[in-house]
Amino acid sequence: MLEDKISKFKSLLKNHTELRAQVNTTRRVTLLNGNLVNNIRSDVSGVSARMYRNGVYGFASSAEYTDEKIKAVLAAAEENAKFMDTHINKNKPMFQPARTGKKELQYTVRDVEQKVFIDFAKEIDAYISRKYPDLASRTIAVFSDSMEKLLVVSDGFDSHSLIPRSYVYLFMSARANDGTTVELFRPVGGFGYFNENFTDPANLYETIDNLYDNLMKKAEGVYCEAGYKDVVMHPNLAGILAHEAVGHTVEADLVLGGSVAAHNLGKQVASELVTMVDFAHTALGKTVPLPVYVDDEGIPAEDAVLIKDGILVGYMNNRETAHHFGMEPQGNARAFLFSDEPLIRMRNTAILPGKDKLEDMIAAIDDGYYLTDTNNGQADTTGEFMFGVCMGYEIKKGKLGRAIRDTTISGVAFEMLKTVDMLSDDMVWSSSGFCGKKQPMPVGMGGPAVKCKVNIGGR
Amino acid sequence: MMTNRDIAEYTLDALKKAGADHAQCIVSTGKTDEFNIDGGDFSLLRTLFNSSITIKALIDGKKGIISANRLDMESIDKAVKECIAAAESSVSDEAESIAPRIKNENFVAGVLEPDRDKLFDRLKEYLADVKNNYPKIILEQLVSKYVYSESVFMNTNGVEFTYTCGNYDLSSMFSAHEGEKSSSFNGYYTKFDSLDGKLIDIGMQRTLFAESEMQIDTKPFPGKTVGKVIITPACLYDMLMIAFGNFISDSTIIDKTSPWISMLGNQVASEKLTVYSKPLDERVVCGERFTGEGFMSENMAIIEKGVLKNFMLSNYGSRKTGFPRALNLSHNLFVEPGDMSLDELVRNVERGIIMNRFSGGQPSINGDFSGVAKNSFLIENGEITHALSETMVSGNLAAMLNNIIGISAETVCDGITVLPYILFDGITISGR
Repeated sequence: MLEDKISKFKSLLKNHTELRAQVNTTRRVTLLNGNLVNNIRSDVSGVSARMYRNGVYGFASSAEYTDEKIKAVLAAAEENAKFMDTHINKNKPMFQPARTGKKELQYTVRDVEQKVFIDFAKEIDAYISRKYPDLASRTIAVFSDSMEKLLVVSDGFDSHSLIPRSYVYLFMSARANDGTTVELFRPVGGFGYFNENFTDPANLYETIDNLYDNLMKKAEGVYCEAGYKDVVMHPNLAGILAHEAVGHTVEADLVLGGSVAAHNLGKQVASELVTMVDFAHTALGKTVPLPVYVDDEGIPAEDAVLIKDGILVGYMNNRETAHHFGMEPQGNARAFLFSDEPLIRMRNTAILPGKDKLEDMIAAIDDGYYLTDTNNGQADTTGEFMFGVCMGYEIKKGKLGRAIRDTTISGVAFEMLKTVDMLSDDMVWSSSGFCGKKQPMPVGMGGPAVKCKVNIGGR
Repeated sequence: MMTNRDIAEYTLDALKKAGADHAQCIVSTGKTDEFNIDGGDFSLLRTLFNSSITIKALIDGKKGIISANRLDMESIDKAVKECIAAAESSVSDEAESIAPRIKNENFVAGVLEPDRDKLFDRLKEYLADVKNNYPKIILEQLVSKYVYSESVFMNTNGVEFTYTCGNYDLSSMFSAHEGEKSSSFNGYYTKFDSLDGKLIDIGMQRTLFAESEMQIDTKPFPGKTVGKVIITPACLYDMLMIAFGNFISDSTIIDKTSPWISMLGNQVASEKLTVYSKPLDERVVCGERFTGEGFMSENMAIIEKGVLKNFMLSNYGSRKTGFPRALNLSHNLFVEPGDMSLDELVRNVERGIIMNRFSGGQPSINGDFSGVAKNSFLIENGEITHALSETMVSGNLAAMLNNIIGISAETVCDGITVLPYILFDGITISGR
């Protein structure tokens, strides 16, 4: 656990200043066809300071975490803030004062020996190689990371926070009859240390069997017919839809950069069925995948409602953009490493569930696709988005047909969301990846099954 | 105070004493000064005092790797202990090794005496240049920095390299706006070692700014066709790296799923295509001088006149598969220019597109890809007609490399790569 060496400097913090000590850990083990190609542990830690001065910031960081270095980064951050202020002369006022207080650590810091990851991966690998010897390739990637932060601010909440998560990624590939190789992967895991989420490799066998069955269907699958299609997105895709299609466009820094949301606040941007929220730590009575209680500017985290009944009602802000837009900051300013400055980031972004049943949604489509798994996504400031689809099925006359090969779907968010006419009554969360902005960041995303229209790539 | 070399020596000694048969260590220290611009305005000056250490130990062919960023003795001792524990828990693999000592060397490259004030002045000038010449452009984010580093690589075979280097870089994300209408965002990254010229003149930034201004008004591609696509230097690196990642890198060569697994020395692409990886070329700023495995880097042909000359294998991948290791792992791609002008390439297209950015899903191992053509234009009857939106492209990367109509004589250097425009055929283009 991080030793608190920074609280004693609180009285020295000037203007708005954040002083943060942080450690990020990563543990990664990868078995490729039984070969241990990755066996890595990484610890990155240090201290940083950021100071606001008349509309500009100065920042400095050091890996050394000593009293002497803390004073040095504070001095360097102040010097950088002065340099920028003197040369830029923005003369912007200080943003609104924040509630003050302190949030203590909500979770216990631990570590897990590398042997635990390796032994688990070996058992999973042995199961797959024994049961499915006909696979072209198998990869088991065991991954765990954590982010522990001590934050002291001149004005706002001080905090001690920790977000650990752990995942097992299962990759399989197989030769198809047409001579090509098809692959499929599935992440399993979530919030918590590895030995909390994974106690017995046998608990994953059902998931592995299901993944193999899907892969075999995909091997016999067909290419999608390119065009504008009716689709049902499995809840696995709704999260990335919320994150990519809408989430990025309503980050206030991107709004200031001219995103499509700049001109749509208060307007109908989606079907009235759609409500979308960036949750801080609790959603629908349960803790979200990656809970944030205080952000890295010292703002206690609250839910940010982005779309309510189809109307765009809010942005995600830091303190400076909240002041600019006359909104309240809700705790979206987050930094990835100790050496990173806080940026406006999503936390746990989700479309809320509706009232429909998945089978009714599929039955309502005459000719379209049911898309079940995704492997990446990207958004545009125009609202145009795409994401990769790595598993799905044709829908013909309301019934599931053949599996499909890899494809990509795209649309323009605020047009596509208006085509949403059914939402399932369940919800799935995921938190297995990183969002990329200037810095990477673990994010949670979730939602129900969504029936809508999108462009689909194909042959 | 211990130098990087002292720390590396201490670490290797500690690893050997703790039971490592072989070990290697990379220690780096340095400083970064970074200017940030958001929404067209300066927002932040960031100074980082950097340090890092990565150590690898082998015990009976079992590997452990630790990466950390504290260089005090207590932290090093902890890293050594964890590295040994990781190796002891690992799986024995005969392909694991460390580099043999051939020739040790000290490398120096780039700018070692930075001029922060001049960089700041150049950035102010850059903002003014964008505002005056491309008034519809908003710089959503611009990050420009000077990075200085001193690194030492040592292993227990006596390999010792040092590398002292410093360079500037600039990374931008921008879009064009008019009223409530806007273009797609685009981005550019460049490395440079001189502040003598205007920053806006580096690489193809002016072209991309001008084109973004023309991308405010867009139409979807009309219908669907299998046709020609010109891929610009701004997009070519991504497409080639996706192909090489799938076809010639460690993972798919080791598991034998690469469609090019048996193609070394054979024709895999149009004979018009020659691709090198050249970290030592003078146009590459602070290029790789030694690999992370401890081999001195050399320039390397990947494809020559369509013939696959080398895989991009690590030494581990090489020992695992029996194929030669890559002479560098830098990805400083150079594609040999062709004999047609960009104008001639455009005139060769009856109905197709010119694509500046590809936003797509992870392609299949066999090279099947699909995605959105971003920052792209329609070409009709040999002329660029209008900017596109909601236009998807799909095809197969291996087939695409065999279906090259022409390569431009013009190339663009961004300090990392030197790439031309390439006209490909046989790509499915579909609109809404």
